[in-house]
Amino acid sequence: MKNKLFGFLAAAFLIFSCSDSELVNMKELSNGAKLYKNNCANCHQEDGSGLANLIPPLYHSDYLSKNASKLPCIITQGLGGEISVNGKTYTMRMAAIQHLNKEELNDLCTYVLQKFPEQAIQPEVWKKSPADSCW
Amino acid sequence: MKIRFSSVLLFALFACNNHQHTLPILGNRDTKTTVVDGKTQVDTIYQTIPPFSLVNQDGDSITQESVKGKMYVADFFFTSCPTICPIMKKQLIRVFEKYKGDANFMILSHTIDPEFDTLALLKDYATRLGSDGKQWMFLRGNREQTYELAEKGYYATAMADSTEPGGYVHSGGLILVDPMGRVRGVYNGTDAAEVDHLLEDIDLLKNEK
Repeated sequence: MKNKLFGFLAAAFLIFSCSDSELVNMKELSNGAKLYKNNCANCHQEDGSGLANLIPPLYHSDYLSKNASKLPCIITQGLGGEISVNGKTYTMRMAAIQHLNKEELNDLCTYVLQKFPEQAIQPEVWKKSPADSCW
Repeated sequence: MKIRFSSVLLFALFACNNHQHTLPILGNRDTKTTVVDGKTQVDTIYQTIPPFSLVNQDGDSITQESVKGKMYVADFFFTSCPTICPIMKKQLIRVFEKYKGDANFMILSHTIDPEFDTLALLKDYATRLGSDGKQWMFLRGNREQTYELAEKGYYATAMADSTEPGGYVHSGGLILVDPMGRVRGVYNGTDAAEVDHLLEDIDLLKNEK
């Protein structure tokens, strides 16, 4: 009985200790995870490991970290030409994903940039750039 | 009571060991009656993969003779496929890595989009996946021929009991073919657990005499 009460209090504490912005972020992340699974995971794989030398990884990708603010454009316009990711070159064209609305694009970018870089990149960082014409 | 239960369990364990598990032979079968020395013999004729003539990523001609006496895994894909192909290929890399260098094992990946997938493109795709081009080949034929081979050869054999028409070509199936050209199993190439199963079955087939 004591244990149960303690558990309840702990859960209540955890819930109330989240600020509003943290709760918003949690919602974005869970939507983003779903969107990632449906739109990206086939190629980049669910764990972000990519496919051999054919499809670049997102997990701990230096390219992704360096180009975080370009991510909305990359998703909505696709990406062609040769790129270098973690020392390997990739040439396969990435198709544009054009059916996402603004909110979905936000959630997907939030998820990808928190989950895969070596150090999570927060929205205030990747949204800052004026280059976000795709936003 | 406990002792009795454990002995039953032990018995069950050893009973399983005595019974060697073998893979089923899929497809239709027929019988052939011959008379040898005045005695009538009835042999079972199993369905096998029909003859084929394709070209691999290096431009070499590949036919049923190229896989004679070898077991192999076949799949159907196209390089520009954004859906299940990359997942299948991720799983096929596991299969390739496990049996790399094994002269009696091959993987044949057939493109179903030969217009787009030129030999140069297949070569680049193969190299980027880490294939050596010999044990894991990427094959191209004309579209009708490839579809016919897939639907009437591999999948028709693999799913002889199914009433569903066509549509298997891009189903994500990995088809295990034994050294006699008979289909021994079909596995969902997008599901890691099923590919675990495929790896176990390849080992079983290797031990088959």
